[in-house]
Amino acid sequence: MSYKPVLTRTWWLKHRAFKAYMLREATVLPLLFFLLTLCCGIYALWQGPSQWQAWQITMKHPAVLAINSLALVASLYHAWTFFQLFPRVMPIRLGSKTLPAQVLIAGQWAGLVAVFVLFTWLFRGSL
Amino acid sequence: MINVKVARYLPEQSAAPFVQEFKVPYDASTSVLDALNYIKEELDPSLSFRWSCRMAICGSCGVMANGIPKLGCKVFLRDYEQGLLLEPLAHLPVERDLIVDMDAFLKHLEAVKPYLINNETTAVKSATTHQQTPAQLGKYKQFANCINCGLCYSACPQFGLNPEFLGPAAITLAHRYNLDSRDQGKAARMPLLNTAEGPWACTFVGFCSDVCPQQVDPAAAVNQSKVESAKDMLIQLFKGKL
Repeated sequence: MSYKPVLTRTWWLKHRAFKAYMLREATVLPLLFFLLTLCCGIYALWQGPSQWQAWQITMKHPAVLAINSLALVASLYHAWTFFQLFPRVMPIRLGSKTLPAQVLIAGQWAGLVAVFVLFTWLFRGSL
Repeated sequence: MINVKVARYLPEQSAAPFVQEFKVPYDASTSVLDALNYIKEELDPSLSFRWSCRMAICGSCGVMANGIPKLGCKVFLRDYEQGLLLEPLAHLPVERDLIVDMDAFLKHLEAVKPYLINNETTAVKSATTHQQTPAQLGKYKQFANCINCGLCYSACPQFGLNPEFLGPAAITLAHRYNLDSRDQGKAARMPLLNTAEGPWACTFVGFCSDVCPQQVDPAAAVNQSKVESAKDMLIQLFKGKL
């Protein structure tokens, strides 16, 4: 007769590594809010100028700004974790050598900065 | 002296597991396995646990030390002066005291065909040597260091929630043979790796790699297998087999 302990719902509270994992996964929650507001924005644009302006006013509400700021921070945190995991999932081998993880991580951050600069330049007049 | 608490399970005495406390003398070189042997020899001969090599290569003495999977021979009492609770490896059925039933783990290992598969006839096999360049060896060497201790299964909440998940070590082993230049068995292994119980059940918690005593990095192998599984799906799609 053997017994098997059951995994409780609070399993993730038992170790720092599990808490970090849950935090990483939870970053999707504020991001979900941001995506919903974005969808509402597209719908408002389709509805006409008055709806669009109403949406813009809503977006300036302090609560919306706070959640969207949180979404930005959460996305950056998720990116930070993702960039660290990426070299382990897709190691790049050149001949007999593997490209150092630090190079791949730096490359991804450089990519993120490039996208940020590009979008800042594209929308420079409208902000 | 250190207080060592040990989770006991004696099915002939009681249906429920219980915790027993022992006082164990120690010095800087006393491993947790030494402590268990001290308890068995000096305090309570009824204590059951597995061990063999005492040098972190046989993979027998895995236990939960304060909730974290460890090899008993590779951790020391000096690091647990605040107290130590030893429990059987998590997520596996417990047979007695610190002895778990490794059947599920072994079945998963076996399922991935962890051996070289090629189309050569026996005569050709015995006549040829299979040379590998350092680069070819380098592709899989890290993943070949697994000692089948099962710590990664106890670290994996996905295996804890779903024992059908092939799990870190088995997928790592499949990946290790898929990467081997002498092997041609990838097509035979992929159907299992493409199922919901394969690498896709992994959510990259990554704790399996943290606890691995051989630095195999099973989480990397599992997630590299996802890439292989996705590539395999595309190939099957273009071949018109999906």
